[in-house]
Amino acid sequence: MREFEYYKVKNLKEAINLSKKFGKNKRFLAGGTDLIVRLKDNLIKEENIIDIKNIEELKGIKEVEDEIHIGSLVTFSEIIESDILKKYSPLIVEASKKVGSPQIRNKGTIGGNICNASPAGDSIPPLFCEDAKFFLESTNGSRIVNIEDFFKGPGKTILKEDEILVKIILKKWKENEFGFFNKLGQRNALTIAIASSCIKIKKSDGKIEDIKISLGSVSPTVIRAKKVENILRGLKEYKKDEIIKICDEVKEEIDPITDVRGSREYRIEVSKYLVFEALNNLLNIRG
Amino acid sequence: MKKIKIDFILNGVKITDEVPANITLSEYLRDYLKLTGTKEGCSKGECGACTVIIDDKIFDSCLILIPEVDGKDITTIEGISKDDLTPLQNSLIEEGAFQCGFCASGMVMSLTNLLSKNEKPSLEEIRESISGNLCRCTGYKKIIDAVIKLTKAII
Ligand SMILES: Cc1cc2nc3c(=O)[nH]c(=O)nc-3n(C[C@H](O)[C@H](O)[C@H](O)COP(=O)(O)OP(=O)(O)OC[C@H]3O[C@@H](n4cnc5c(N)ncnc54)[C@H](O)[C@@H]3O)c2cc1C
Ligand code: FES
Ligand code: FES
Repeated sequence: MREFEYYKVKNLKEAINLSKKFGKNKRFLAGGTDLIVRLKDNLIKEENIIDIKNIEELKGIKEVEDEIHIGSLVTFSEIIESDILKKYSPLIVEASKKVGSPQIRNKGTIGGNICNASPAGDSIPPLFCEDAKFFLESTNGSRIVNIEDFFKGPGKTILKEDEILVKIILKKWKENEFGFFNKLGQRNALTIAIASSCIKIKKSDGKIEDIKISLGSVSPTVIRAKKVENILRGLKEYKKDEIIKICDEVKEEIDPITDVRGSREYRIEVSKYLVFEALNNLLNIRG
Repeated sequence: MKKIKIDFILNGVKITDEVPANITLSEYLRDYLKLTGTKEGCSKGECGACTVIIDDKIFDSCLILIPEVDGKDITTIEGISKDDLTPLQNSLIEEGAFQCGFCASGMVMSLTNLLSKNEKPSLEEIRESISGNLCRCTGYKKIIDAVIKLTKAII
């Protein structure tokens, strides 16, 4: 592995001051499941590694009135075991179960998954369905950013040079909300998504009062399928043929690439059925 | 490159050392301490051959930078049995669970960790516990059978 200088920081202030000092020439180390692989592959130019794992302010899952705050250092294993999240935000729990392997889930963090900004990041589609907000901190103070404004492309975010993701803010689920996450990979364990979809529905009297649909691995960033959402909102009759036709509209909203995991054409076709499968799990769709 | 001071427990023994930051735990175990029971296959977190137990959880030691182990309590395959093999290891042998054996240390670490938390795991829980461990030879069946046989005997 190439050489670098390693710094372990104890609190947020130390982390952002040090990162201000190094500017572009630094990387934060959280779980390292992305960063260490990239260091081994010689893909990291930065010479300073700031280990943030001991920063208490970035840890823990907390209930704050009608919100849940997830520290950026929370691991996938901690998410899966969290009673608060199981009760109030089950989609992120389901998605976390699909990440890598037990070994990876014990080390990989939600903050690392977000800041890595892969369109295949499994925690991201649920966070789009939850309209998550990100609490960021830099030497200029803190700011809260909506998830829709955060990602700029594969590996690209709006994070400033000395800025750190502190926590993720979600709204607690209400009783009439339901959701479904599905990930298509080559196999079950240790697989990066070929495509994934996540749906959150608010139902009242059998009618879709509100719906959010997000898709992973089929565009430069995870995206919301807002056109399809708009067609489905208000619907109360669910006929299979009609729903599949509506799902086909996702092709207007995605822009997949061809890579080793799948072709553009395959991803377009399969996205339709991933959305249909999710809807089929949430609605009473007839023949 | 500055050397980093590390202090941790390995298989019950306190270790203090000064090392360059750019080596992984698996490299440290194998090249510095000559504890070669921990295997390194892919070096990228994909095969689990390098699995170790840290503070009651399993990790791929190829994805741990050596400074990250400071203050931790680590168990490797060399540390899971003192004199004799464990009942799990004996059961794996009796079933003929391995062929080339390259995955064996990692499998034993993942399964030991499972059984320490759950004496009677379900088939699903056994499969899940080794879902981060690849075996290129056996098809997993005999590995899983060995655990089922052992845990039934525990009842
Ligand atoms: C074998 C294997 C399998 C995998 N499988 C999956 C999978 O199924 N699904 C999936 O989504 N991912 C998968 N991954 C990728 C990886 O595990 C996840 O993206 C993980 O969430 C990264 O988190 P981390 O804490 O390890 O990040 P790190 O590697 O520590 O960091 C990743 C990047 O984010 C930056 N960063 C981290 N935290 C912060 C912060 N708080 N503020 C600002 N910047 C920050 C770092 O500087 C770095 O650039 C896999 C990786 C491996 C090696
Ligand atoms: S060598 Fe560590 S997971 Fe393969
Ligand atoms: S026995 Fe050869 S890899 Fe498992």
